[in-house]
Amino acid sequence: MAWVSLILAGLFEMIGVTMINKWHHDRKWTSFIYLLAGFGASFLFLTIAMKTLPMGTAYAVWTGIGASGGAILGMVLYGESRDWRRIFFIAMVLFAAIGLKWIS
Amino acid sequence: MNVNWINVFVAAFFEVFWVIGLKHAHTPLAWGGTVISILISFYLMIMAGKKLPVGTVYAVFVGMGTAGTVFAEMAFFGEPFHLIKLVLILILLAGVIGLKVVTGDKEAKEKGVDS
Repeated sequence: MAWVSLILAGLFEMIGVTMINKWHHDRKWTSFIYLLAGFGASFLFLTIAMKTLPMGTAYAVWTGIGASGGAILGMVLYGESRDWRRIFFIAMVLFAAIGLKWIS
Repeated sequence: MNVNWINVFVAAFFEVFWVIGLKHAHTPLAWGGTVISILISFYLMIMAGKKLPVGTVYAVFVGMGTAGTVFAEMAFFGEPFHLIKLVLILILLAGVIGLKVVTGDKEAKEKGVDS
């Protein structure tokens, strides 16, 4: 159940990140509400997951799903650059961030 | 260095404050500062996404926030120093510099090409 919550937290974070894009494209207040709701639900499920899972593991998985998923959806839905150098450097940043969260 | 990148870095700086605040805040003043830091960091991060690719902004925001937090925990809160932490922070900074170099401006973003 903790892992289900954690994965849901990551998926909601992806939604939150994608809504930032949506809001910049349409500037509708509903998009901004979705943005807040996405990140809000994400933190809620993360908190539930962290009641049983170790904090470092939970943060690492959450970041990994949310930030990489957000970047992928940005490329698929909003035409963000698919330049291999951009993908490589994002992967590098997230690899290091996940590593730091995992061990701390 | 344009204003959008500065916003991302300042957002990450405030992220360090609120992550540490969530862990160490015990007084109303500290909690108030934590909440204000959350609002400032998210506001700047969201606004930076207007001109820069959101996927890049979010990765740098999360990455720099993590590196800053790990550094602050070691420097000010007595967390043990490990070489691996330093190595990962350096990898992360190299990735951020790389992203800064290959990311173009809004026009480039809209055409879907970089640099």
